[in-house]
Amino acid sequence: MFISRLLNQGNAPLIEQLLEFTAARHKLLAENIVNVSTPGYVQKDLSLTKFQARLRERVAMRRNAPPGAVSFDDIRGELEHPRHGILFHDRNNRSMEHLMSEQAKNALMHQLAVELLRKQYSALENALKERIA
Amino acid sequence: MFDTLDIGASGLVAQRIRMDTIAQNILNVNTTRNEKGEPIPYRRRFVVFAPTRQARSKAPGVHVREIKQDQGAFRKRYEPGHPDAGPDGYVNYPNIDLSIEYVNALEASRAYEANITMMETTKAMLNASLRLLA
Repeated sequence: MFISRLLNQGNAPLIEQLLEFTAARHKLLAENIVNVSTPGYVQKDLSLTKFQARLRERVAMRRNAPPGAVSFDDIRGELEHPRHGILFHDRNNRSMEHLMSEQAKNALMHQLAVELLRKQYSALENALKERIA
Repeated sequence: MFDTLDIGASGLVAQRIRMDTIAQNILNVNTTRNEKGEPIPYRRRFVVFAPTRQARSKAPGVHVREIKQDQGAFRKRYEPGHPDAGPDGYVNYPNIDLSIEYVNALEASRAYEANITMMETTKAMLNASLRLLA
């Protein structure tokens, strides 16, 4: 109970969800890239804006709730089928430039989340050791 | 996220098979006989990709569903002295257009590179995640 509350304080649970989101999104982007020449393949993605909106909403809820009462575990990305790109004759709306840039942005976001989480854990570690960073 | 590396690998394999097929077309551009020595020209081959469905022990991705033969008409060239010429003096050559094959080869090569980049990114993301343990 104590450990759980300790780990669920601050931004750690929020960043953990972001990490799960970026990992899941990376998998979908990879699927899109490998199927770039597959006729009739429908591109898949997770909505970043909807995910961020849900996170914001939950953070607002947490402000007025006791510590540990609001969980972020159920927040997942919503699957969508992007319509950007030209619909080719093989019914595939691929856009390699878009896919590669989304993949790069997603990877950067993942690395940012990892760094933030590391900072959180290191601050926690310092607090446990009663040491000033 | 280890699955994502398997997805990339499936893309690499599929694009390599595509490139092999294109290479086969290019080198057979003037082949007027089949493997039995009969005067039947080589037919252009092309790969058909299909997405791989996710299963319990299998990551999603892409695979080559089949390698089909192009049923388009053969190129005809007037060469009366050719041993494979018909009674009208025309020789049937494979239905291969080199410019189309070059463009397809370029596309396959670019797709292969994109898969490599995606796998590099996956590795970087995995390394970053593993640093949480360090």
